[in-house]
Amino acid sequence: MLVEVVDADRGLALCVGEDGGKSSVEIALIDAVCPGDTLLVHAGTALLRIEAVAA
Amino acid sequence: MSMKYVDEYRDADIGQVLAGEILAAVEPGRHYKVMEVCGGHTHSIYKYGVDDLLPENVELVHGPGCPVCVIPMGRVDDGIAVAREDNVIFTCFGDMMRIPGSESTLQDAKAQGADIRMVYSPLDALRIAKSEPDRQVVFYAIGFETTAPSTALTLKRAKAEGIKNFSVMCSHVTIVPPLRALLESPDLRLDGFVGPGHVCTVVGARPFEFIPADYGKPVVVSGFEPVDILQSILMILRQIQDGRCEVENQYKRIVPYEGSTAALKVMEEVFELRAHFEWRGLGFISQSGLKLSEAYADFDTEQRYEVPHVRVADPKACQCGEVLKGVIKPWECKVFGTACTPERPIGTCMVSSEGACAAYYNYGRFAREREVV
Repeated sequence: MLVEVVDADRGLALCVGEDGGKSSVEIALIDAVCPGDTLLVHAGTALLRIEAVAA
Repeated sequence: MSMKYVDEYRDADIGQVLAGEILAAVEPGRHYKVMEVCGGHTHSIYKYGVDDLLPENVELVHGPGCPVCVIPMGRVDDGIAVAREDNVIFTCFGDMMRIPGSESTLQDAKAQGADIRMVYSPLDALRIAKSEPDRQVVFYAIGFETTAPSTALTLKRAKAEGIKNFSVMCSHVTIVPPLRALLESPDLRLDGFVGPGHVCTVVGARPFEFIPADYGKPVVVSGFEPVDILQSILMILRQIQDGRCEVENQYKRIVPYEGSTAALKVMEEVFELRAHFEWRGLGFISQSGLKLSEAYADFDTEQRYEVPHVRVADPKACQCGEVLKGVIKPWECKVFGTACTPERPIGTCMVSSEGACAAYYNYGRFAREREVV
């Protein structure tokens, strides 16, 4: 999922999925999440940051 | 729009090249059985027709790595009993709603008046608890190590925020013990394993090293696109061809060999191993299930409510156990596609999209296999 907004205080990021749907994602397992990052999300939690570039 | 890490792994030309290399790597006259451990792989194999690209003597065997498929009927009954308690809002993932218990499903219980709600994450369940402070919100947690960190983080959040009306009915399981049980089973002779890529994002590849070390079978941790799976099968066959036997990581673009230290740490804090856990079709496997640790005992649904814990035998007609162990193919089950369909499942393997039976059924394998018979 693509990170749109980061709420570092609450440990959450608003992310958008491939289908355009948005949801809040737990980001406690990932260091320094920024808008524009792509995260591997499972059951509402980001497990990894991945490099995925739209071309 | 093309997408890096997606398009090239669905490229039909690359798939054909890999199919040719697989054909060149097999010994004619030898039969190879390769187990894909994860239900996500099973789904991709039938969605993209990966098996159609394999030589006849390379057989894919579906493994136990489908979270919904391994939940026994008694555990569904336990969930229904809690959902019917006064003042409870019972939350679970969508697939759980349709798993048959001994008498009904959670969906049936909802129709009969229980407040059962589908959620996409444990965080959604916690949100409901915050918005309904006078109700008790229960989250029915299922899944392997890929899902368990999410439950763990939500419990940490609930504790930190002092939320008292939230609890978790924990049915999380771990992937290594059932694999060891399968490897010990005399029913099944396997030549190698396509390793569960997403579980490995959390646990890493190291926990699978016992398979080559103790049982002499190759493991290749794999991605989920069709080219990933073909490449992983080729890597397994090349290990056999070269006389090698090790854990290799085909999914390096995602999976670090050591997994996620942060996820493992939070799981260790929130969970501990159960002495035994019952798996559908596989029976009780020691140290294969997770429960909440002492530090989180206040959030344990099973400590808040009377849970029946009755063991219920699977229906006689259902052969999910044999399907989960890879002993039979889905279409070889007596009720496949007749009494048991995704609309009205008898067995768990027909419920989830990751279940081998549902994957066969939904992607038209049923008709083709019957013609062969």
